[in-house]
Amino acid sequence: MRWNGRTRCALVCVGFITLYSLFSFRLVYLQMVKHDEFAGLAAEKHVHKQVIYAERGAIFDANDEVLAHNIPVETVVGDATHVNDLPALGALLSSALKISQSEIAEKLGGDRRYVVLKRELSETAAGALREKLRAQNLRGVYFERDSSRVYPNGPMLCHVVGFTDFNHRGIQGVECSMEDYLHGQDGYRYIEHDRAGQEIVLYRGQERAPHNGYQIHLTIDLNLQNIVENELDSVMSEFSPKKAIVILMRPKTGEILAMANRPNFDLNLRAEAKPEEMKNRAIIDMMEPGSTFKIVVAAAALNERKVRPDTPIFCENGRWSFGGRLLHDHKAYADLSVQDVLVKSSNIGAAKLALLLGDEKFYEYIRSFGFGDRSGIELPGEIGGMVHPPQAWSKISITRIPMGHEVAVTPLQMIMAMATIANGGILVAPRIIKSVATEDGESISRFAPVVVRRVISPQTATQLGLALRGVASDRGTAAAAAVPGFIISGKTGTAQKVDSKGGYEQGKYIVSFTGYLPAEHPEFVGLVVLDDAHTDKPELNYGGLVAGPIFSRIAEKAARYLDLEPHEEIDKPVTAGRVALTNAAHR
Amino acid sequence: MNRRRKKNLNAINVPSLARWIVITAFLGATGLSYVYLTLQLHDLGDRRKALENELKSLRTQNEVARVQVAALTSRSALQRRVKEGYIKMIPISEQNIVRLSIPARSADENDIQPVVNRKGRR
Repeated sequence: MRWNGRTRCALVCVGFITLYSLFSFRLVYLQMVKHDEFAGLAAEKHVHKQVIYAERGAIFDANDEVLAHNIPVETVVGDATHVNDLPALGALLSSALKISQSEIAEKLGGDRRYVVLKRELSETAAGALREKLRAQNLRGVYFERDSSRVYPNGPMLCHVVGFTDFNHRGIQGVECSMEDYLHGQDGYRYIEHDRAGQEIVLYRGQERAPHNGYQIHLTIDLNLQNIVENELDSVMSEFSPKKAIVILMRPKTGEILAMANRPNFDLNLRAEAKPEEMKNRAIIDMMEPGSTFKIVVAAAALNERKVRPDTPIFCENGRWSFGGRLLHDHKAYADLSVQDVLVKSSNIGAAKLALLLGDEKFYEYIRSFGFGDRSGIELPGEIGGMVHPPQAWSKISITRIPMGHEVAVTPLQMIMAMATIANGGILVAPRIIKSVATEDGESISRFAPVVVRRVISPQTATQLGLALRGVASDRGTAAAAAVPGFIISGKTGTAQKVDSKGGYEQGKYIVSFTGYLPAEHPEFVGLVVLDDAHTDKPELNYGGLVAGPIFSRIAEKAARYLDLEPHEEIDKPVTAGRVALTNAAHR
Repeated sequence: MNRRRKKNLNAINVPSLARWIVITAFLGATGLSYVYLTLQLHDLGDRRKALENELKSLRTQNEVARVQVAALTSRSALQRRVKEGYIKMIPISEQNIVRLSIPARSADENDIQPVVNRKGRR
């Protein structure tokens, strides 16, 4: 071979071609064959998925007053692989976040790339910390936007609104039952960091915007709730009951206007609350209703035309032996009309009405009024109460159930029964959610009233309503429940407390009053229940004497707020001895 | 002879040279444009990030203010202020309310009249 210029040139070219071919093959190999592997490694190193949290929806009352909403806070997180000066960082974070330096060293000392240092840090504190980090050129600490749930009204309506856990999941009340609407859907964004940990916006990857939670509007009117809560506070200081429950409801629509329980707790200090304070007793507590249950037997007997309102019932002069057991009335009555059986709250009269009906029919009406079933209200944990079928009844059950023994009902079921009478015999499902709206306030769902069934005829409801007007008169058991300017219909209840060991607790009562007004066209139904109220004298612990006046005060204020037109100015002097007794009880 | 040699040795292919100059200039300009545009993109990205942060900050401030307004105007806060005497509320008496329609009375309303228990009331 002759090594002339042309040959040498060709050799150099071949060499270059070979070299570049090798490079090309290597590039093709890296870019195509190993692409996924290296892209994955690169992504693992630089790209990470940033969650964009959805805002939890707010909760409002019927007048758009805020009951629950969010305050922006920040979560401080660390990336141990980015930390450049651990001692300085530890000293700074320790003072800013109130965490010990050893804990910070433990969290940021390894190679963990994501570690939560502090949750729910206020925006102001986070801003100040961010500035200090920048000034000292410290790396490895990042801030994630978050929010904290705030309840502006503190303890008011606590059992209804409920609360969330630290993951923003509702665990009680409407926060829990409407979780699917409130929670929203988090978004995400794939981002790349530079060496300093700053996002390189140019390389921002796939992104999905968050979908904020819906707003929930309740049927609760905070003005009425306030009336009820204030009254309950007074009741707690006056009678020191173990528990107290008040519900106000609009009978036509089933809307719950107010619902309050004692004991209660502050929603903003929920970590300090005791389990006993967190129970919404209006829906999860069972109680023997006592005489308020007489409305069921009277309604059934009238509806079945077994009796008329003026049919006389012989009340055995206050003592009646049935099934080998004595049944007493609190006063000796001879003949009482069906109407007066309710007005005077005769146990014997109610028992005889049940006997006229028979086991099966009576049971049918009890169930028809909604007892023994969950009402389906949009609150978690509701129970259905306890109503045994006639097959499980003893010989005397038919005489004890009419006076509210041997059955266990929730306060909500009791008010629903009274609302049925106020509503002309139609049972309407109770509801606490008015509507669901977007964050802009656009309503996406409105909850309409749900008629469950007709329980009694309108005529029977009218007859019963007229009879119940007498309860709050000077002839009835709850003269102190009267509301100035209004005619009300209502019923008292006094039940001995059931002992968990069996039998009844001596001297301990659950007293209640449930009624509605105006009697002729009811605008609201109310229920007051006090468990183990402490009166000056034990013999004053009656529904009409304790719960009746509370109902009266609440109803008067509620009527004024709802601008109900008074029937007339009624200002008669009180002469009934029973009312004088009430005054003594409420010194 | 001299003229021919001169022609053979120093001939410059002007069109070819011009073509290469244009190609080189084009490639250079393209490269510079690419670098410039990439820097611009980075710069715009930074500005976008700054604007996003500003927007986020404004939203946050707005939300914090909204929460403060809600807290200050909440029922509990207003009640506390009423108790402290900052706000005075006087209930409107019945005689100061003018009603436009007088409710009709039905015949059976006189059957039972409720009583007033003023002593028992607060």
